[in-house]
Amino acid sequence: MNRRDALQLTLAAGLLSGISPQILGSIARAATPLKIGVLIPMSGPGGLFGPSCRNCTEMAIDEINAMGGILGRRVEPEFADVGGPPSDATQAAVKLWKGQNVEAFIGMHDSAVRRALTDLFRGQVPYVYTPVYEGGECSAGTYVLGETPTQQLEPVIPWLAAERNVRQWYLIGNDYNWPRDTNAVAKGYIAAAGGSVVGEEYLPFTVDNFDSNLAKIKQTGADAVLVTLVGGASVGFNRAFASFGLSGGVLRLGTLIEENTLAGIGADNSANLYASAGYFANIGTEAAKAFRNAYAARFGADAAVLNSLGESCYEGLKFLHALAERAGSLSTDDTDQVADGTVFEGPRGRATMNDRHVSKDIYLAEADGVEFRVIKTFMSVGAGRNCG
Amino acid sequence: MPAEIADEGTFRVRIEDGRHVDLLGTYVLNQLYITAILVLVVLGLAVVFGWLGVMNMAHGEFVMLGAYCAYMVQEAGWHPLLSLPLAVVVTGTVGLAVEGSIIRHLYRRPFDTFLATWGLALLLREGVEVIFGRGYKSVDQVLPGTVDVLGIPYPAYRLVLFSAVVLAFVGLFLFYRASTLGARIKAMVTNPVLAEAVGINTTRLAQWTFVFGVSTAGLAGALLAPLVRVEPFMGLDYLLSSFFVLIVGGLGTLEGLLIGSAVIGGVDTVASAILDKSAGYIAVLTVSIFFLWLRPHGLYSRR
Repeated sequence: MNRRDALQLTLAAGLLSGISPQILGSIARAATPLKIGVLIPMSGPGGLFGPSCRNCTEMAIDEINAMGGILGRRVEPEFADVGGPPSDATQAAVKLWKGQNVEAFIGMHDSAVRRALTDLFRGQVPYVYTPVYEGGECSAGTYVLGETPTQQLEPVIPWLAAERNVRQWYLIGNDYNWPRDTNAVAKGYIAAAGGSVVGEEYLPFTVDNFDSNLAKIKQTGADAVLVTLVGGASVGFNRAFASFGLSGGVLRLGTLIEENTLAGIGADNSANLYASAGYFANIGTEAAKAFRNAYAARFGADAAVLNSLGESCYEGLKFLHALAERAGSLSTDDTDQVADGTVFEGPRGRATMNDRHVSKDIYLAEADGVEFRVIKTFMSVGAGRNCG
Repeated sequence: MPAEIADEGTFRVRIEDGRHVDLLGTYVLNQLYITAILVLVVLGLAVVFGWLGVMNMAHGEFVMLGAYCAYMVQEAGWHPLLSLPLAVVVTGTVGLAVEGSIIRHLYRRPFDTFLATWGLALLLREGVEVIFGRGYKSVDQVLPGTVDVLGIPYPAYRLVLFSAVVLAFVGLFLFYRASTLGARIKAMVTNPVLAEAVGINTTRLAQWTFVFGVSTAGLAGALLAPLVRVEPFMGLDYLLSSFFVLIVGGLGTLEGLLIGSAVIGGVDTVASAILDKSAGYIAVLTVSIFFLWLRPHGLYSRR
């Protein structure tokens, strides 16, 4: 060993001894990728939305990795199918969490699964819930990005009352908590806008004949129908609605009529049909256009249709990125402290977190054939009171 | 639901109030229409289950295949009427292949046909999903607009469909009663061994009866496509109500099919009108359960 080697060795030893184990640990972790659990339906009634969720997730993760990852770590998605009952979803989440060492979760699924997951996680791992839902989720470590009924209806019902002159509302939905909670909120806005509710009905999921409902809608003289039927039920109802010639005189507003549902309703049956949501595939903003073009370029013309549910997965990762960088860690103790005021930008526009929910732009679109045309944008609409 | 709304929804007939008369008329038209639609959809299962004893769990999937035929005809830009022969050819061909390969070996083994056709249903759903994707397809309305019937606007296409079903059903009824083929089928159904002994080729007769049954299901799908949602899982809607109709009406006769359709459609319409749609569904289930329990052969059975 010559003199130079000896000097270098001494220097290196000195440096190493001065470095704390904590820093050594973080260097080691920077090398291991950050696994994020992505819980989306690939089967069951929601399975239709799985492919677009997956595509949007992959886009977001590639963009985040190109920008240096989250907290300097490369991000890897771990997908799991949560299209089944909550017990199956819980098992899938446990496998990812304890078995694959997933450090954060993104979820696009129904509320029954969400409740099972918040019971499982108990605030120990960050969990971002992305789809439209009924409001009221306030568990530790849980962050909600989807539209609440307040956001979808508070600005929209008065606007329709003023601009489309509708007063008499008929409320129809599938029989579970989202339609019921949505309608409970809607009644307040309808009354405040000087309107009245002339009928309210909840249908089992198995119903595929809507004749008696349509007869009642006609008989009550309703001039607007708030549709909270989901998926196939919404398609069947809206097709029958138009075939009875009701679409000419009666306006329809849906809070979960997205691009797939509209395709099923068909151009013949979509006159006078409105939808309120935080995202539509053809929003005219630059950010939305860039996203749509990138999606088409990457997945081709035959790819799963872009819609608010699929795109919400992209928002989920963008939000998780912003939150983790702001907190400097993925520990829920840290993220819960800084969550309020976290700002992130996506195809929907700018969103700000407050009370585990986000204020964001809401778009009111009118169906034009099988396309949505945004006719009004309501800026930075708050999610309403959800905690406490 | 607030009480005053439920009360308003009941259909009391008040002559002075035109809206109530209209409502009653609409319910009557709906009742006639739903009976016709049930006859149309269930005919295929009545034939396959009632005459051949095959519990065809894939019945709804044949309806689904027929609906996709209508979609293909639309995408190809052909005349909508062409969807009818296409549906018959496609479902008939699938039926022929299925009968020859699977069903033929399972006659008189109802539980085995149940399992085999359940598997077939999965296969057909997944196959359609692979080809057309999971999403909803929309088949354009054939005759958009409404026609006034006694002052009540009713969808024109429904009226045409209703008339077509009535004509076809009367034709089929007369044919079955008067023709030799009808007599042979009756012979095969009541005593297959004796039928074989008097020179009826029951293998071939059963084969074509099966093909006839599934192709009427395909025809039903093509006819209903402009009115309903079209997607790989749509067949499940039709399977349950079809079995309910056969439970109530009884197996093996066209009269039973008609009566069952009228009862199931009527119970649903009336309970939905007076109370709500959930009540309609519960009423249908209750009636079906009581029939299975107290009158398992239905109202009009050949047994």
